[in-house]
Amino acid sequence: MSHRSEARGMGLWSLASPALVLCVWELAGRLGWTNPILLPRPLQIIEVFLGLVSSGAVLSPLLHTVGLFMIGYVIASLLGTALGIAMATSQTLYGLLEPLVESLRPIPKPALVPVLFLFLGIGKATMIVLVVLASVFPVLISTFQGVRGLDPVLLETARTLQISRSRTIFSVILPASLPMILAGMRVALGLGLVLVILAEMLAGEDGIGFRILDHERSFQVREMFAWIVVLVALGGAMMKLFEIAERRLVPWRGRS
Amino acid sequence: MTAADIPDDASIGRTRTGTVRLRPGSRAPGVLLIVALLLLWELSSRAGWIVSAYWPPVSHILAAAVAQLAGGEILVSLAATLRRAAIGYVAASVAGIALGIVLARNRALRCGLLPLIEIVRPMPTPAIIPPLILFLGVDDALKIFIVALASFFPIFTTTFVGVASIDDTLIQTARTFRISSTRMLYGVVLPATLPAIAAGLRTATSLCLVVAVLSEMIAGSSGVGYYLVEMQYAMRPDLMYAAVFYLALTGYALNRGFLALEARLIPWMGKT
Repeated sequence: MSHRSEARGMGLWSLASPALVLCVWELAGRLGWTNPILLPRPLQIIEVFLGLVSSGAVLSPLLHTVGLFMIGYVIASLLGTALGIAMATSQTLYGLLEPLVESLRPIPKPALVPVLFLFLGIGKATMIVLVVLASVFPVLISTFQGVRGLDPVLLETARTLQISRSRTIFSVILPASLPMILAGMRVALGLGLVLVILAEMLAGEDGIGFRILDHERSFQVREMFAWIVVLVALGGAMMKLFEIAERRLVPWRGRS
Repeated sequence: MTAADIPDDASIGRTRTGTVRLRPGSRAPGVLLIVALLLLWELSSRAGWIVSAYWPPVSHILAAAVAQLAGGEILVSLAATLRRAAIGYVAASVAGIALGIVLARNRALRCGLLPLIEIVRPMPTPAIIPPLILFLGVDDALKIFIVALASFFPIFTTTFVGVASIDDTLIQTARTFRISSTRMLYGVVLPATLPAIAAGLRTATSLCLVVAVLSEMIAGSSGVGYYLVEMQYAMRPDLMYAAVFYLALTGYALNRGFLALEARLIPWMGKT
């Protein structure tokens, strides 16, 4: 996205305004302009955050959240890609599955959290199913559009060379639609994370989402903000990793 | 939030290369599949293949849906949710379009504000709710603010990118004619950016409903989100499934309505 590269192009300047906001926030806290009970100073939050990291207390909830998310995300990516390619290449499968997909897709996924809690019980399986439900549709639709948007010459060439169907899928269709598949997976990354955090908040067992809401309810505001920092760092790190992987896998992306 | 880029609006029927048209009747197998699945659901519950109090047969859910509608309780909840979603959506549209245009055209403001926006954007929505509860309470102000915040990002992003990618010739031509900056905005920039803005508005349309429900779940006293959680605790799966059904229907209707409106107001959409 062009404005992202623009933000990067500004270099160090892009750090100026966030740094300024943090300084004003810190100063306002020290001067007593803000209510310290509701809004701790940034340095206080960082102190608690560093405490969480150095004591290792951050590890168990972090692993809980990341574990549930990753399992669901991988399943959703594989399933979405497979279904997307299947529906884009086979008219029969398209006719069979399109109405189902289009009727499940508009369901606001957060609404399914209490439904699945009741039906599957509160547990790991439920969380994973929720992540899959949230992440699968963007991957599926993006893959579908990617495959349908392929240059027909590509497919006809494969047919002329009498390449088998499975080889066409794995050596022609899959690599050619990879940018679109990854675009869908990037969207799914954010959606899946939102769902896992929400589910943890409502389930109240473990994980980053649970910590944030639990500290808010017991008015441990510094701890709450520290856990939000953990979450933001996690989200940012995953996005960064994804971008690196994307650049590796599709080095031609954005150059065409 | 990261969901800002959701191409949720991009349904399967609308590919980038154009609309996929199917022979009439080719949806029949798919519709049959749905009917078969629903029948299987009904059977599995009635015949006791799945023994669970939380797996009511479809017919019970339908009955619950009718009762819900007749009793009006679901309409009250939906109205509360939609009101919050709508107010937040309008606020986000105004702020998103205005900031998108201003930031795309003013370098100093862009350097100052864009990094801040980029920091807040990837925050998962549920994470922002707890600290905001402390400041805004658990009432409407909180939910409307969260809806507005979540809807802001797709609108802002598409507007910003749209304005930034206007053909430079267009701007230069307008400059050559020395038109005023107001006319430049209304006569050149806005019409050229409208398709991009509409794309952002459409993403935000489905997003605002989702986020309203989500916020009602975490901090609610009314609305569909609250209703769902309440029914979970009351162990009334039939009412819960029925509410999800109405919610999905609302989401679907909103998207359809938006598409119809878009086709009418921006006929040149998608033809560039």
